[in-house]
Amino acid sequence: MIIEAIIINGLMLGAIYSLLALGFTLIYGVSGVVNMAHGSLFMLAAYVFFVFTFQFPIGIFWASIVAVLATGIFGSILYRLLINPIINDEVAVLVVTVCAALILEQAVILQFGSYRKAVPSFVAGYVEILGVKVTYSMILAFIASLILFLILGIFLSKSKVGRAMRAVSQDREAAMLIGINTERLCMMTMAISAAIASIAGILITASKTGIAYPDMWQHPLYLSFAIVILGGLGSIKGTPIGAFIIAYAELAFMYLVPGAMSLAGAVVMAVMVLVLLIRPKGLFGKRIEME
Amino acid sequence: MVKRYFRAAYLSFLVHVVDIPPRFFAFLIFIIFLLFPITGPPESILLMMIIANLMAIYGASWDLLVGRTGQISLGHALFFGIGAYATALLYVYLNLQPWATIFIAALIGFVIALLIGFPCLRVKGPYLALVTMAFPLIMTGVVYYFKDITGGERGIYGIPRLFPFLNYNQQRFAEYYFTLILMLISSIIIYKIANSKTGIVFLSILDDELASKACGINVTKYKIMAFAISGLFASLAGAVNAHILSSASAASFTLTISFMPVIITIFGGIGTIYGPISAAYVLQILDRYLLYKVINVSTEWRTIIYVVIVIVLILKWPRGIARTAVDKLKDLEEARPVEVVYKKMKKKEESSGGSIHAPS
Repeated sequence: MIIEAIIINGLMLGAIYSLLALGFTLIYGVSGVVNMAHGSLFMLAAYVFFVFTFQFPIGIFWASIVAVLATGIFGSILYRLLINPIINDEVAVLVVTVCAALILEQAVILQFGSYRKAVPSFVAGYVEILGVKVTYSMILAFIASLILFLILGIFLSKSKVGRAMRAVSQDREAAMLIGINTERLCMMTMAISAAIASIAGILITASKTGIAYPDMWQHPLYLSFAIVILGGLGSIKGTPIGAFIIAYAELAFMYLVPGAMSLAGAVVMAVMVLVLLIRPKGLFGKRIEME
Repeated sequence: MVKRYFRAAYLSFLVHVVDIPPRFFAFLIFIIFLLFPITGPPESILLMMIIANLMAIYGASWDLLVGRTGQISLGHALFFGIGAYATALLYVYLNLQPWATIFIAALIGFVIALLIGFPCLRVKGPYLALVTMAFPLIMTGVVYYFKDITGGERGIYGIPRLFPFLNYNQQRFAEYYFTLILMLISSIIIYKIANSKTGIVFLSILDDELASKACGINVTKYKIMAFAISGLFASLAGAVNAHILSSASAASFTLTISFMPVIITIFGGIGTIYGPISAAYVLQILDRYLLYKVINVSTEWRTIIYVVIVIVLILKWPRGIARTAVDKLKDLEEARPVEVVYKKMKKKEESSGGSIHAPS
């Protein structure tokens, strides 16, 4: 019973987590930016979704579309204004993106207050698979994640922009030489990354937690770190693997060790540190550097 | 005899401090810091300056690690929090005096930095940044899990103040001078380390790790050394902070505390050591005095204004305010001799009858 619950829930959770970390790894792979505001984009989407389902109800579907578009635009503005001028300074980028995250958090508190807001779920009800209760919205989130992954895979391998992105991530200078406008491309990547983060945000808040609150950006941020580092920074194919490892580790710990809810985050991080001890560049990280 | 020593000290003061504009300026500010409690400031201002003293140590410790060796740590809250919890637990379970607990807490920070340094420093760049960030989170989980020992979310209260024998107002004064002197000693030690032979090795690791390795430097040893020294001072700041606030809580492990030294250092000028020290005061005064006392805006707006100022300064002055200021002051110094020479030349010209050409 417990084993089945872990397997099925882990499958769902892993798919959503991989979506969450995908945007993070994408922007790192293409432009080398460690985007600490990734969780904030997630939060922004959840709040925009909340506004357009409760304060100005326009239907759940349209609300999600608006949230994704708004977050995407916000992400590209963020890149243009704050990250682009200091793109070469790694530490400064970290600081500036954290600052952006803090500003967003405070802005959300000013606008919505610091208490929790309920967010509607997509569909009500649940189904039993192998004796494990799984809500429909969880299944919806799972399927949506899979479809998005597929779309992104096709986009990266087939479309012109996607191929340009891969070119930039392989060699920035060479990509510039063959006429790719790297600056614009990075901005576009940031928009896509933000859009993916926002989809993850809507899916997770609407189907899993059901609440939005001002410091909800921290947990997803840490999760994406752990996942991305496990899979290897900038590695798209490593992301889902890292996500499933993290999801299964978290669930196994929560189901098997009683009263250890507060340790869940710590376990995720400990798994990450352990894997890094064995493989310093993550499971699928670039191994170009000579030792 | 005594007079001669005083004279020698005075002369070396003239040569090493007064003649170098940045140092003279720093000396003046230090005198102001030394004298300002005499004007009888309210307790909140004193507390602000005490915290600023501790933040200066904390920021300088981060700068030694990141600015000098290039090993980015985003989890310095680990050491800060460990300092706080170590001093609190040592008091609660062993009932030691503050002096002892602070000292032992700093040593514990040193040892933990050594232990963590070995695995952490296997990874590089952004990996290292994110891995170090994981440790405070792990500690938060541990603190919440072992509620009976650590007090869980409430933390540990009632840690004795540093000077329990004084009355309330005197305590703050004493703490102010204690932290000021502690800051001075720590920053001198950090500065000396940064500019010693070891510090030069640190810089070589920052510049090119592979090349330093090729020169026969044991890179791992020096990296861990930097990590441990940094951890020592960070937990020192954390331990003293716990005594000042007389509590230790899991709030010391948050992202905000981790990013405090990062913001301070970038703001002041990374890799300078004096940068974070001066920026700690500037930012503390900006946040706690200008925004909170003078303008008196709400907490949310205060954070937003503070953060926006930091962002704008990073974008406009990526070299940091302290470094820019010191460069300006140094220009002053270099300008002086040239002017003197120029004046002398002019005088010569006038005396030789308005022509530099010798009469044929």
